[in-house]
Amino acid sequence: SRTEQERHLRLTTTLYVGNLSFYTTEEQLYELFGRSGDIKRIVMGLDKFRKTPCGFCFVEYFTREDAEMCMRYINGTRLDDRIVRTDWDAGFIEGRQYGRG
Amino acid sequence: KRRRTEAVEIEDRLESLIIRVGEKSTSSLESNLEGLASVLEADINNYKGKILKILIDCAVKMPEKTTIYTTLVGLLNAKNYNFGGEFVDMMAKKLKEALKACMWRTARYVLRFFSDLVNCHVISTNSLLQLLLTFLETARDDNSPQVRSDTYVYAVLSCLPWVGRELYEKKEQDLDRLLKHIEIYVRKRSRKHVPGLRVWRSDRPHPQEEYLDCLWAQICKLRSDMWQEKHIARPYVAFDSILCEALQHNIPQITLPTHHQDNTYLFPWVVFRLFDYTDCPEGPVLPGAHSIERYLIEEHLHNIIKEYHHERKQCAALLLDFPLKHKIPLEYMIVEVVLAELFHLPGPRYIEICYGSLLIELCKLQPATMPQVLAQAVELLFDRIDTMNVCCFDRFVNWFGYHLSNFQFKWSWDDWLEAAQLDSSHPRAKFIIEVLLKAMRLSYRQRIAEVVPEQFDCFVPQKPEPVYKFCADSTADLPGMDTAHRLESAIRAKGTVTELLAVLAELPNPLRESEDTDPPYNPLQIQVFVQSILHLGSKSFSHAFAGISKFLKAFESLVGNHEEAQMLVLKEMHEVWSTHQQMMVMLCDKFLRTQIVSCATVANWVFSKEMVPEFTKSYIWEILHGTIRKMNKHVARLQREVNEARERRVGNDSDDSSDSDNEEQQQQQQRPRPSEEEIERMEEKLEGAQADQKNLFLIIFQRFIMILSEHLVRCDTDGRDFNTHWYRWTIGRLHQIFMMHNTQVERYSQTLSTLLFTQDLDPHILDAFNQFVALRS
Repeated sequence: SRTEQERHLRLTTTLYVGNLSFYTTEEQLYELFGRSGDIKRIVMGLDKFRKTPCGFCFVEYFTREDAEMCMRYINGTRLDDRIVRTDWDAGFIEGRQYGRG
Repeated sequence: KRRRTEAVEIEDRLESLIIRVGEKSTSSLESNLEGLASVLEADINNYKGKILKILIDCAVKMPEKTTIYTTLVGLLNAKNYNFGGEFVDMMAKKLKEALKACMWRTARYVLRFFSDLVNCHVISTNSLLQLLLTFLETARDDNSPQVRSDTYVYAVLSCLPWVGRELYEKKEQDLDRLLKHIEIYVRKRSRKHVPGLRVWRSDRPHPQEEYLDCLWAQICKLRSDMWQEKHIARPYVAFDSILCEALQHNIPQITLPTHHQDNTYLFPWVVFRLFDYTDCPEGPVLPGAHSIERYLIEEHLHNIIKEYHHERKQCAALLLDFPLKHKIPLEYMIVEVVLAELFHLPGPRYIEICYGSLLIELCKLQPATMPQVLAQAVELLFDRIDTMNVCCFDRFVNWFGYHLSNFQFKWSWDDWLEAAQLDSSHPRAKFIIEVLLKAMRLSYRQRIAEVVPEQFDCFVPQKPEPVYKFCADSTADLPGMDTAHRLESAIRAKGTVTELLAVLAELPNPLRESEDTDPPYNPLQIQVFVQSILHLGSKSFSHAFAGISKFLKAFESLVGNHEEAQMLVLKEMHEVWSTHQQMMVMLCDKFLRTQIVSCATVANWVFSKEMVPEFTKSYIWEILHGTIRKMNKHVARLQREVNEARERRVGNDSDDSSDSDNEEQQQQQQRPRPSEEEIERMEEKLEGAQADQKNLFLIIFQRFIMILSEHLVRCDTDGRDFNTHWYRWTIGRLHQIFMMHNTQVERYSQTLSTLLFTQDLDPHILDAFNQFVALRS
């Protein structure tokens, strides 16, 4: 439900990261996003058919505070010459890493 | 009911009027203040409490508008003497509370406000002098730490730019006496803490002054200028004829709270100086290091960052829109202030990326000037890097690599070509090597190799590739080769942990000397297993992590709690991934989280013989600090849990249970009260963790002492100079442990001084410890 969703967004430690280059690697993402706090995991967004990176990922932090730091300081800065966009995400669920092909 | 809502509306309106006075407006500040004073005067009878509260909040929270609010209070006092008196009483109360709660910033701003109220004829000169002298009495108290009297003396000194002129005109002798007190104090202070807080060891080209020494010098300069300063806007001057008619109040008697061992005071710092007027050739002149304007502008800029650091875009905009921007070389002062915060010791106020992204915003917002000034700053930092503190060196590398990644790695690399001729452990060469490594982590090797001049080929990182020693086409006939290949096939065939262990079981144990001995672990098994797992998981971090998680049970059974076995895991990891530093950092983290290796093992590994060639590289220290941080966080979490449990045991659940917004709190209250036994178990766990933490620090410091002593003794017998690059990096890293983890190390400082940092130690090593102790004494 909608309020449930809002509650999740208020407490989540996961961010959706968009506008990445298809060539950006998980390692680069760890380096950049690790600068705002300890990362629990990164899930790369993959092309549904080719299973190759397709420009987005989920970054999950251990704490809400670190995720907030990311929203404050990393959102809107560059990686691989592209401005990365971060947004709160209610939490990664298996299957969501596959983008539209 | 309607009357109540009306009252609330009026209060809100008053609040907004008071808060916003002094913001940009079509009419003059003076007429706005006059108008506001009339409005408030009319409402004082009905809304006195509210008005007082708002004014006090503004006085404390908006120090950059001190003189605006003192003028307002002055005008109100002239109209309504009793109101002025109540305001002074409430501010005095605020001051007492702040002193008791160790809120030194608040206390300092109340004192400053009182000082400026003297200029507005609200407070009598004598009563302010009395209060300042009370503050200075701490300087004669020998039973409390120096940081306490420093804090009070600093508060007094920082008022003088506001009220110095008035005191000089009205009470010259008293002012002289006051300054004499301060001078005596400043002279006799200990400065043991200073070397540890300096960004540079050298005083060239700019002296690195301690904050109190610097402000004292600035005040002396102000005094010799007959207390004339040009920075503070003083709106009360226009109202002199009204204000001088008013009657003055006395500040109520204030007794300072005595020192308590739990009190925290201002941490001393060293003023960061990067530029002088010769660095900014065009436009307005940069105020000198001892000009009071430098202090006032810097403080104001720091306050803007403090207030707006959450909103980097707004923060950048406000910094660039500084009120006196046409009278000073603003970009230079901003860059100096932001870098001062980034390099602040023992640690920056906010996380490093905060400053990195702020500098990017500043460059974007002022592209015509900001990038050039920042580039000039980097040049100067690079020029002076030989004597830079290792903590700051690391932050410089991290920031610069990140900054470049946001600007396509464009940099005038050619200006640094000379560095290619230097020894690779020379700070300049090292800086470039480490920056390129960071840049590569944020990009990829090829790009970095293309962006730098070919003379820098020696600096470009190796291609990060795994080296699998049991590789199928390897010609070497290594023991374990066949098993490794069988293990690989078993893993590819999705074999279970039991199956893998069965494959490994065929390996002989080189540690076994006779049939009867049963060695605690089998090094060959660990070698084959770790190599294979890392080789198969070499595609990405996720692959590596997944492999480790999946075969955690195998790790447990092969490695267990044996330090040598754990050490072997790290050694094998290093063999496989020696060209991929970031991978090693991540793997160490993973090994710690999964408890495959202990923190103590990582520390011993860092100092091991095999790691000697790696010892001065930054990633080693990234790993070690990460390890210590993990330990610290673990202890802090257990401590928090014990505290919470104790609170719940006592039962504090009566208050605030209606607060439905705070879900977490509610959940906590729903938990049953812990029993005494449960708390005891938690405390035992905490004590265990603290023992581990203490042990970790003991290992690290002991290893430092050993290698440093060995170096010093060897140089002494060989008649060589001990002060080599290696020595400076190493002593710098020791210093960094004290700085970065000072709150945690502090708890064990007694043990450290009796067990390790004893008087017979070489003074060079002992110094690092003494500087750390001096931070709080």
